[in-house]
Amino acid sequence: MEPADVERDQRRDFLMTAGRVAGGLGLAALAGQAWATPETMQSAVRRVAGDSALRRGKVRLSIPPLVENGNSVEITVSVDSPMTATDYVKSIHVFTEKNPLPEVIGVSLGPRAGRARITTRIRLADSQQVLAVAELSDGSFWSDSADVIVTLAACLESLI
Amino acid sequence: MDQSLNLSRREFLISTAAVGGGLALGLQLPFGVNAAIAADVVPEVNAWVVIRPDDTVVIRVARSEMGQGTITGLAQLVAEELECDWSKVSTEYPTPGQNLKRNRVWGAFSTGGSRGIRTSHEYVRQGGAVARMMLVQAAANQWKVAASECSTADSVITHQPTGRTVTYGKVANAAGKLPAPDVKGIKLKDPKDWKIAGKSMKRFGAAEKVTGRQVYGFDLKLPGMVNAAIMECPVFGGKLKGFDAAKVSGMKGVKKVLRVGDTAVAVVADTWWHAKTALDALPIDWDLGANAKVSSASIAADLKAGLTASQAFVGNKSGDIKTALAGAARTIDAEYAYPYQNHACMEPMNATARYTPDKCEVWVPTQDGEASFAAVLEASGLPADKCEVYKLDLGGGFGRRGAFQDYVTQAVRIAREMPGTPVKLLWSREEDMRQGRFHPVMQCRMTGSFDANNNLTGLHMRLSGQSILASVRPAIVEKAGGKDPATFQGVAESGEHSLGYTFPNMLVDHAMRNTHVPPGFWRGVNINQNAIFLECFMDELAHAAGEDPVAFRRRFMAKHPRNLAVLNAVAERIGWDKPAPMGLHRGIAQMKAFDSFVAAACEISVEGGNKVKVHRIVAATDSGYAVNPAQIERQVAGSFVYGLSALFMQECTVKDGRIEQENFHSYNSMRIAQMPRVESIIMPGGGPIWGGVGEPTICVAAPAVLNAFFKATGKRIRSVPLKNHGIEMV
Repeated sequence: MEPADVERDQRRDFLMTAGRVAGGLGLAALAGQAWATPETMQSAVRRVAGDSALRRGKVRLSIPPLVENGNSVEITVSVDSPMTATDYVKSIHVFTEKNPLPEVIGVSLGPRAGRARITTRIRLADSQQVLAVAELSDGSFWSDSADVIVTLAACLESLI
Repeated sequence: MDQSLNLSRREFLISTAAVGGGLALGLQLPFGVNAAIAADVVPEVNAWVVIRPDDTVVIRVARSEMGQGTITGLAQLVAEELECDWSKVSTEYPTPGQNLKRNRVWGAFSTGGSRGIRTSHEYVRQGGAVARMMLVQAAANQWKVAASECSTADSVITHQPTGRTVTYGKVANAAGKLPAPDVKGIKLKDPKDWKIAGKSMKRFGAAEKVTGRQVYGFDLKLPGMVNAAIMECPVFGGKLKGFDAAKVSGMKGVKKVLRVGDTAVAVVADTWWHAKTALDALPIDWDLGANAKVSSASIAADLKAGLTASQAFVGNKSGDIKTALAGAARTIDAEYAYPYQNHACMEPMNATARYTPDKCEVWVPTQDGEASFAAVLEASGLPADKCEVYKLDLGGGFGRRGAFQDYVTQAVRIAREMPGTPVKLLWSREEDMRQGRFHPVMQCRMTGSFDANNNLTGLHMRLSGQSILASVRPAIVEKAGGKDPATFQGVAESGEHSLGYTFPNMLVDHAMRNTHVPPGFWRGVNINQNAIFLECFMDELAHAAGEDPVAFRRRFMAKHPRNLAVLNAVAERIGWDKPAPMGLHRGIAQMKAFDSFVAAACEISVEGGNKVKVHRIVAATDSGYAVNPAQIERQVAGSFVYGLSALFMQECTVKDGRIEQENFHSYNSMRIAQMPRVESIIMPGGGPIWGGVGEPTICVAAPAVLNAFFKATGKRIRSVPLKNHGIEMV
C-alpha cells in the first residue's frame, strides 16, 4: 500500500469513527465545514450538493496562487478514491466566487474512469477563491479550495 | 557550469560585482547591497521599514521605478509618518515571492495607470505611522514611561517630561519585536502639516542614472551567464514551423538553437552579439497563417465601415442625440484617425533566468513584479516557494512591461533547456518593434448640431476601432455586456476618466473593430486619441459658431469646476485674452484622466506651411495632492516628449500581417532641440480622491498643437502622425 493510501485510509477511519461518535453534525465540524463564500457561488454549490454537508478533504485542488491575467489558468482536481465499482467519484465540480458563471466545470465520472483526476484550463475574471467539489458514490460531498490572485492589467484596477 | 544555486543573496551580490570586473565594482546592484545586508542582520520594524543601529532607514516599496519617481514619492510618504531623518533614507524592493508568503503585505506590485502613489498612499503612510508607534513604544518601555509622553522628530524620540532622547536606531531591534498597533486607530497627518511629503526632494538614483552606474536589466551579468537572442513569428498569430540549426550551430560562440513555445526560435551564445548574429543567419520556416493578408489599408477599411455601422456600444449619453441632429439648423462633422504606436522603450525587453528543478529565479525590469512572478510559475512549472523574481529599475515601461510578460515566459522557457546556467534574454530593437503590444488604432466620426442661433444642440462621437480589453482582459468586456469600458477614457459618464463637459444632447459610442495586431496599454492608453478627437472637434465647433475656443468650452463646463479651473489657469498663464506674440499661434485643450484634471495651452510657429516649432507649453495639473512637486513638473515635461513624438512622428503600419517599422530610422522620436519650454502649474485641489501624474498630461499636448496649427494655417489635420501630412517638427 502506498503511503498516501495509508494516510487516506487512516483518515477515512478517523472520519468514520468521528461520525459514529459525534453523529452527522460532529463529522462535518471535524472534517471541515462549508466556508463563507459569496452567495452566487454558495447557491451554485447547493444546486449540486443539495443539503448535503460539504466536507473538506479527499479532494486536492492544484492551481497557481498567482496568475498573470486569468485568461487561461491551468487547474487540476484530483480525488482520493480507489475508483472501484462500489467506491468511486461520481462527479467533480469547480466553482468560482467572481466569475460570471459560478460553476465553471462539471464533470461526470464512473468507476471505469480509472483515475479521479481532471486537468484543464479555465478563465478567472478576478482574484478570488476557487472551490473544487467531488461527489462520491456514497453520496457524500468533499471539497478543497484555493485563493488565486489575478495580477491585474496595469492600467485597469478601477474597471474591475 | 555547476551552480550550487544556494548562493545567499549577499554572496550573489558580491560574486556579481566580482565577475563583472572593473565596471561592475561600485555599481549599484540590483536590489541594493546595503539593503540586502540590512535585511540579513537587522530585524525590520515592520514590512515597510528597516532601521539599522546607525539610524539609516531602508523603506521598502512594491511599485516599480521606471523614471517616474514613484519610489521617491512613496518613500517620502512613509518617511513623513515615520518622522525619520530623510537624509538617512534609502529604498529597496521587496520581492513578489516575499509578498506572497507574507499575505501580500505590500499590496499590489502593479505599476501603471498612474497609480503608483494614488492607490497606495494610504497604506504606505499607515506603514510609516505604525513603525513610528512601535519605535516610540519600544523607547517608552525602555524608559518605563507612557508612550503618550514621547514625541518624535528626525529619527529622535524625546521623553517630553524629562528631556531624555534616544534615536530610532537604538530601539529598532526592540520595536520590531512588539505587536503592531491596529491601523484602524491611526490618524494620518493632514497634508498641510507635511514636512517631507509635499516637498521637492531629490530623486533617488538620479546620480546613478546620470553617471551610468545604474544597472538595468540589459546590463546585468551573472556568473557563468549565457546570452539569448530571439525571434517570434513576425505575423501575429503565425507559428514556427521549423529551422535549420545546423547552418548556424558552428558559428562563433553558439551554444544552442532552440524552439521557444509554438511561435519563436532562440539562439543562445556566449555573447549576445554572437547570439544575434547567428539568429540573423538562421534559416527559419514560419507558418504565417491567414493574418499574412492583413494590411494597414484593410484595417483602415474595416474601421471606416464602423463609423457608420448600426451596432455600437454606448459609452456615454445624455438627452436625445437623434432628435437633436434631425432638428438641427445645421450640422458639421469630421473624421479623425489615430494609428498603432509602439512603446519603444529605450531598454528593449529582457529578462535573465536561472532554472533548476529546485529553483527558478528571474531578474527582470517589470512594471508588475507579481505578474512576472506568475509568468515564472507557469513557465517553470515549479511551485511558488521554488520561484522568485528580483525586480530591476526599468529603462522605460510606458505600459509594455506590465500586463504583458511574454519576455519573462520566453526567458524561463530557454533557461529550462539549460538547467543551472543563467540565461539573459535580450530582444533586439527590431524584435522589440515587431513584437509590441501596440497602442490601438481608432477612427472617429464627430458630428455636432447647431440651432438657428448658433447654439450647440448635440454632439455625437462615434469611435470605431480596436478594444484593448477584448483580448487582454476579456472578463471585463464580458461583464460589461461586450463593451470595452476603457475605450471611453476621458469621455466617460463618470469615474476617473469622466467627460469634462455637459452637452444638452450627446452620444459617445464605439463600434468595436478588433484586428490581429495585439493591442496594449500605451502611456495614457485611450485618452491619447479621445483627447484629439474631442478637443480638436471642440475647436472646430467653436470656429463654426464663430466663438473663441476657450469661451466656447466654458459654456459646457459649469458642472465641471475643476476642469474649468485648469483650463482657466493655462489660458491665463499663456495670456489667452491678449494677442499672441508676432508669428506665434495658440491652441488649448483640457481633459480629466486618471482622476487628475489637466489642461495645456501652447504657442507654435509654422514656417513654409509645414515646419512646426513648438515654443512653449503651459500645462496645469490638479492631481488632488502633490507629493513631490518637482517630480510632477518632470513627469509633465516627459509626457510631452512622448506625446509630441507620437503626434509628429510615430506610426506602426501593417504590411503582410506584420509591423513594418523595425528601428528608430522609421519610428522616430523627438530630439532635445525640438523640445518646447514647459511651464507646469501644479494646483492640487485636495479632496478624498488622489489623481495620477504619469499619464494625464500626455493627451493634452497633441490637440493643443493641432488647434494652434489650424490657427496658424487654417488647415485642420485630423490624422496622426503629422509626418504623413508632410509636417515636420523643428
